[in-house]
Amino acid sequence: MATAPPSAPPEVRLKDLAPTTSPVEIVGRVVTAERREVTRRSDGSRRPLLSGLLSDGTGTVRFTWWDPPREGIERGTVLRAVGAEVRTFRDRPELTFTFRTRVGPASEAELPRVTPEEIPLRAIRDLRPPDEGFRLEARVVRIAERTVTVGEERRVVHEGLLADASGVLAFSSWTDFRLAAGEALRVVGGYLRTFRGRPQLVLDERATVTRIGGEGLPEPAELLRAPPRPIARVEDEGGGEALAVEGIVVGLLPPSGLVYRCPICRRSLTGGICRIHGQVEGQPDLRARIVLDDGTGALTVNAGRADTERLWGRTLADARERMREVPDPNVLEQELADALLGRRLRVRGSGSRDDFGVTLQPDEIEPVEIDLEVAAAELSARLGTVRR
Amino acid sequence: MSRREPAWRVTARELESSLEEERATGERAASYLLSPFGARMNRVVLAGAISPAEPVGRDDPPTFWRARLTDPTGAIAVTAGSFQPVAMARLRATTETHPALVVGKVHLFRGRDGVAYISVRAEGVKSVAEADERAMLAEIVRQTLDRLDLVERLEREPGTSEAELVASGTPAGWIPAARDSLRRYPQVDRAAFRRELGAAVRRVAGDSGPRPSDTGTRPGVVVTRAPPPRPPAPPPTAEEREEEAAFLTLLDELSDVSIDGYADLKELTGRLAAQGVGAERAETVLNRLEEEGAVEEPIVGKLRRA
Repeated sequence: MATAPPSAPPEVRLKDLAPTTSPVEIVGRVVTAERREVTRRSDGSRRPLLSGLLSDGTGTVRFTWWDPPREGIERGTVLRAVGAEVRTFRDRPELTFTFRTRVGPASEAELPRVTPEEIPLRAIRDLRPPDEGFRLEARVVRIAERTVTVGEERRVVHEGLLADASGVLAFSSWTDFRLAAGEALRVVGGYLRTFRGRPQLVLDERATVTRIGGEGLPEPAELLRAPPRPIARVEDEGGGEALAVEGIVVGLLPPSGLVYRCPICRRSLTGGICRIHGQVEGQPDLRARIVLDDGTGALTVNAGRADTERLWGRTLADARERMREVPDPNVLEQELADALLGRRLRVRGSGSRDDFGVTLQPDEIEPVEIDLEVAAAELSARLGTVRR
Repeated sequence: MSRREPAWRVTARELESSLEEERATGERAASYLLSPFGARMNRVVLAGAISPAEPVGRDDPPTFWRARLTDPTGAIAVTAGSFQPVAMARLRATTETHPALVVGKVHLFRGRDGVAYISVRAEGVKSVAEADERAMLAEIVRQTLDRLDLVERLEREPGTSEAELVASGTPAGWIPAARDSLRRYPQVDRAAFRRELGAAVRRVAGDSGPRPSDTGTRPGVVVTRAPPPRPPAPPPTAEEREEEAAFLTLLDELSDVSIDGYADLKELTGRLAAQGVGAERAETVLNRLEEEGAVEEPIVGKLRRA
């Protein structure tokens, strides 16, 4: 068996990386990088290291870089490493750059040329931040434009939802791919990040989008009109996109009712103070943090002003008027709680989970009426059924 | 992540039938009441007719109130104290029996006779229209039947895997609850319970609501002021015997002239006070007489000879 001489180690693709005794040469792009320091046990001296994920489009592996350069290594940097060591951790190969490894910048063109078919196709359900280096085939459920200020610059970001048969994923695209709801796409070169507690696919100028036939992909209408699911299931899954749940209001969480928001960032103020912008002139607003319960589980629905006014039957102006009569926000919150308690609601939106459970950001809140005749007939039929 | 306890949809009958408890062990851990029909309850929601509340205890102003929620299957005590000020205010504001939803935590008290007394400590009480009460009752019956089906399926096929049940839509939390029900209530007449649910379904269909008087003597609403178990008391002194005699004489006098045949506790303690026996002494005497089985209090504040 012929082996390459140690002076010229073979350049390998990351998907083919396997533990070897001889060092390898790789080219890859930094996906994540984090600096740390490790204290040596022998003399207590501190040794810097950089670790993270490296991808070349064919695969993504963890890397550890001892004594890295002080700066210049960040997400997106393309590196060529000659003489990198391959180790195995939990059955997955990892790269280590030691003093014997020569690491230098490389250009995009040096990355392996990969056809979309070579990149592993992944299902939405299995994607987690900070995954990248995958191919996705999905349908645009909805899309909308938003203008954001990034530093000094104003940019347009296209946000929406993508779905395949396994699930729904939020995306934000910084490049205008002229996407429209209902289109089926093959997406290569995107990556996942966590945005406001939820996974999100980011598409930028390095991503490529191709229209495909879309057989087997769900239609937007079926997703946006899907029947409600048990809240326990939503809790198990930790939230998600395009969720529908139905339950009764069993309580409200503070702050609910009349709140004051920071004019800059819209956060609720505590005692007139924004936790980012300090003392500010608060703008009055109505909100309701509804605890919705369907008997299997419970989650919080963050209802904004329009929904709160509609469900309560009182406007922000009414609430401020009431505050002048009874200057106690607790009274107002209690009146809102009384008005909402026991109400049956169907809520659609996107959910995220934290230490206090799942919170749903609603797209739509609809009161539900139960047809008593239908319910009685159904229940009589069930009671009449003889079960062995 | 800690999960909020879901509000189990239950009927009064199911609560009344629940005797098994799962006590909290860890810090801030929840306690559960286990029903024979597959519910493992910390929080519940009920729908029915709620009666005006009565104050409990001797505090002035009262810091604990108790009302009764009656649904077509039974009745259950609903309480609220000063730790639930809003729910307490709602209970106090009730002047006549009306349809309501109650959300709260279940509470089990086991008397010295071993009898379990179940009540619901209200977190929320909401007066509703009759249609809303019936709609909630419909959901309560539907979920109760779902749970019964699950319990019976697990009884027939104990080997059914959790994954299989979850895949067919069963909430994961219901499965251990159903298995516990089977284990801890091996002898339960579920068919009889299904029949009792018929009354609730008739109510969903529009039957008039239950009359509170129908349920006055149901076991679920018998309340006593029994203290926790304690060692047997020393034999009463002559003085104590005298107080007991005075107590019983007054009780007989009052029940003779009352319409319902019960002696009113408030009136009785008032008269005892006039004879120089203070409220605290009267309470002690009552407890002793109850313990000896001479007197019982089948309805709060109403006494009779046992």
